[in-house]
Amino acid sequence: MTAYAIRRILWLIPVLWAVATITFFLMHAVPGGPFTQEKKLPESIIIALNRRYNLDEPLWKQYLLYLWNLLHGDLGLSFRGDYDVTMLIRNGFFVTAQLGILAFIVAAVFGIGLGVLSALNQNGPLDYLGVFVATVGAALPNFILATFLIIIFAVNLGWFDILGWGGPERVGDALDPSVWHIKKLVLPVVSLSFLPTAYIARVTRASMLEVLRQDYIRTAHAKGLADQVVIIRHAIKNGMIPVLTLMGPIAAALVTGSFIVENIYSIPGVGRAFVEAVLYRDYGMIMGTTLFYAAIVAVANLVVDLLYAVVDPRVRYG
Amino acid sequence: MRRANRLRLLGWGWWVPLMAMVVLLFMVVACGEEEKEEGTATPGAGASPTAEAQAPPEQQEIVVQSGQPEFFDPHRSNFEQDIAIERMLWRGLYQLVLTEAGGVEAVPAMAAGEPTVAGNVYTVKLKAGLKWSDGQPLTAKDFVYGIQRECDPKVAGPYQYLLGESILNIVGCDAYFNALGTADKPLTPTDAELQTLRDAVGVKAIDDTTLQITLGAPKVTFTIIMSLWAAFPSRQDVIEQYGDKWTDPGNIVTNGPFILTGLTPGAGGNVVLTPNPNWALEPKPALRKLTIRFIDDLEAAFRAFQTGELDITSIPAPEIPTIKADATLSKQFLQVGASRIWSVEMQMKDEVLSKYEVRLALSRAIDREMLVKVVYNDAYLPANYWIVQGLTGHQGSEPFESIIGYDPAAAKKALSDAGYPDGQGFPTLKLTVLDRPDRKAEGEFLQKSWKETLGINVEIEAVDAKTRSSTFNTKNFDLYMGGWQIDYPDPENVLIGLFDTGGGNNQYECSDPDVDAKLKAAGTETDNAKRIKLLQDAETLIVTKLCGMAPVWQGAFLYLADSKMGGLKPNGQIDAAMPGNWCPECWYVKAQ
Repeated sequence: MTAYAIRRILWLIPVLWAVATITFFLMHAVPGGPFTQEKKLPESIIIALNRRYNLDEPLWKQYLLYLWNLLHGDLGLSFRGDYDVTMLIRNGFFVTAQLGILAFIVAAVFGIGLGVLSALNQNGPLDYLGVFVATVGAALPNFILATFLIIIFAVNLGWFDILGWGGPERVGDALDPSVWHIKKLVLPVVSLSFLPTAYIARVTRASMLEVLRQDYIRTAHAKGLADQVVIIRHAIKNGMIPVLTLMGPIAAALVTGSFIVENIYSIPGVGRAFVEAVLYRDYGMIMGTTLFYAAIVAVANLVVDLLYAVVDPRVRYG
Repeated sequence: MRRANRLRLLGWGWWVPLMAMVVLLFMVVACGEEEKEEGTATPGAGASPTAEAQAPPEQQEIVVQSGQPEFFDPHRSNFEQDIAIERMLWRGLYQLVLTEAGGVEAVPAMAAGEPTVAGNVYTVKLKAGLKWSDGQPLTAKDFVYGIQRECDPKVAGPYQYLLGESILNIVGCDAYFNALGTADKPLTPTDAELQTLRDAVGVKAIDDTTLQITLGAPKVTFTIIMSLWAAFPSRQDVIEQYGDKWTDPGNIVTNGPFILTGLTPGAGGNVVLTPNPNWALEPKPALRKLTIRFIDDLEAAFRAFQTGELDITSIPAPEIPTIKADATLSKQFLQVGASRIWSVEMQMKDEVLSKYEVRLALSRAIDREMLVKVVYNDAYLPANYWIVQGLTGHQGSEPFESIIGYDPAAAKKALSDAGYPDGQGFPTLKLTVLDRPDRKAEGEFLQKSWKETLGINVEIEAVDAKTRSSTFNTKNFDLYMGGWQIDYPDPENVLIGLFDTGGGNNQYECSDPDVDAKLKAAGTETDNAKRIKLLQDAETLIVTKLCGMAPVWQGAFLYLADSKMGGLKPNGQIDAAMPGNWCPECWYVKAQ
């Protein structure tokens, strides 16, 4: 398995190179550039700005220059403020990761819990509740859910705050208790976790129902094992395999941020930075965030594949 | 007998305490005490005090919404939200203020008085004892450096044009700025050549408190232009030491009422301003801390205002009915006439749109009052004029209403005169709009109006901001929803560059020798009354001939400001991004 893991990690290099190449040429093909604006800038400004950011070089040269800098860990500057792209992604990801991890934990706990309870109480009240929540979660866009949550729980009831992130925005502040505001964490986490909770619940329920019908479960009961032991030691473990398939992409999606949720709650995360980079044709940020996402997704998928081997002893990688 | 598929994971003895714990946790988080400063007003909390007494210093902290800025460097900034913050950090030789009569004028700020004018040479004395925020003396050399920096091609200041030949006309500024050549013929001047050009810019320090500026010709708007960010002073030693990081907190040095002490850059970030201990003018800021949150989504900002997390915010026009229906919000609502004019821009190099009768038909088919009512909830003013209300020289809609205003019968006749009776044979035109709900709704309104009144088809092309700008700048459009927001409160700013042949923003190819003559004459006229008359004449020609555009509405700034706020004096002619932003040192939190 170690060899497999190393091979997968090495595959990251050509994958990221392909992503960088496609993104680079695609973004230059889109109409409008970083300095395009309605009030047209004089030619002298365009010349100066192109020289400042090496945009006056032929495209192939810009591409090679970018790859060379990338190999040295330099993602360049954002055109919006000349901020270091690495710094912006690092700070943004620090916030987005907190939101994503919290949302993932909530989604996993409540999704799996709801799915298991639904399966264990098939066609009972808990099952109906679980299916209802799962259906609503899957059908309701998160910007509508977020709006309802804000209006009901923040504006009308005043229970929660909605502006900004309720945790540290810099690594150095992580242990400072004054930067934590739980009331600001709740609604963004709920908004972001609702949809994945629904998906996880549905898949967990279906998977558990399948497992509970297996002969070995009947055998376990016949041997006189208590319900709790059968469910926890046998059913859940096997029922989680399909759920794991889902968890990898969900984790990657949550940890890389949601533009909608970050925008609605004004959270300074990397998800929002990615979308805005495209809208503003901020080439440095587009490349940096795209590569960052590609790496996150690739690593998340690798972790899921490795977890398969942990959960299912029959799975072996050569 | 128990059903095989319904199993018990936990007994009921576990469920009740588990559910109780979840509910208890929810209530603890939701209802937990949060540190609230004493006397902090939340929306809906009580009436304002009758006396404008100020709250104690520890309560003088507010949070304000703004769009996300790019730079905090006044010589590199391009956008209103950047400039709004820079005006809090710096102040120029002059500053724009409201007059008693409600007008706008430029009064001395760092300058001791009005300039002494000898021909084309303007001499300005500085006040004595001026200091930067770090305690260093503020001298004439700092203004020289700032103005040279604005003209520096490598700094690439988007507002260099204000100091260049088309507006203020500082000698040598354009020559320096254009040293890198053009797209067809780029140049690479040496450092020595650039230094020579820099030294030739007509600005010098006679001594520490005397600044001399040489223009190409006398200019009536001298003090207005010198109040703008393009002419703010700069500290050469700081910029040379820190390079592009010179505006970071801890590095930045300013001379305005506030200093920048905190910054989280990027989307969702914020900036923190605190009073400058060396601010030279009165009043001294009452606010102890001003936090500006970067929020581009105005719906999100509106909700944050309702929860008490923002004290001042812009709001989207669709929320106006909700706000006006609310007893508390309606008292906090500010609708401020803006110096922004909006129009249907028409590409005059197009064969069809080059015909005056076609443009007239399109203009006369627009029910501007209905459009503003339906699309923007009456937030804006219907307009058949171009020089905006509030500016000297504003003529209103009356002179133009009967010529280009809404009249379906006249519209049909004009189209028929153009050779397209009832729209027969008229090609399908494309209307480019920003991909945003209100702009798309506006496009649909116009599309429907033209179809119903004229029988013509117009396709809407909704695109993102960059694609839209690219479409405009490459002149690759038929009809385009666009307009102008003034950079400074003078009518020349809504005309020069927009309607003169070859003007930098004249992408709709308006070209009329009479208009060119009027604008050229106005640019050099030193008698202000005559100058204004020339600009009005230019406006009359442009509007009645629909030279490249048909005006539709004049904008308004829409804000909510918490009742606890005092000292706000909003004016759309001189504010930037926030109500009463022209004097942030005037803001305070009222005693509750």
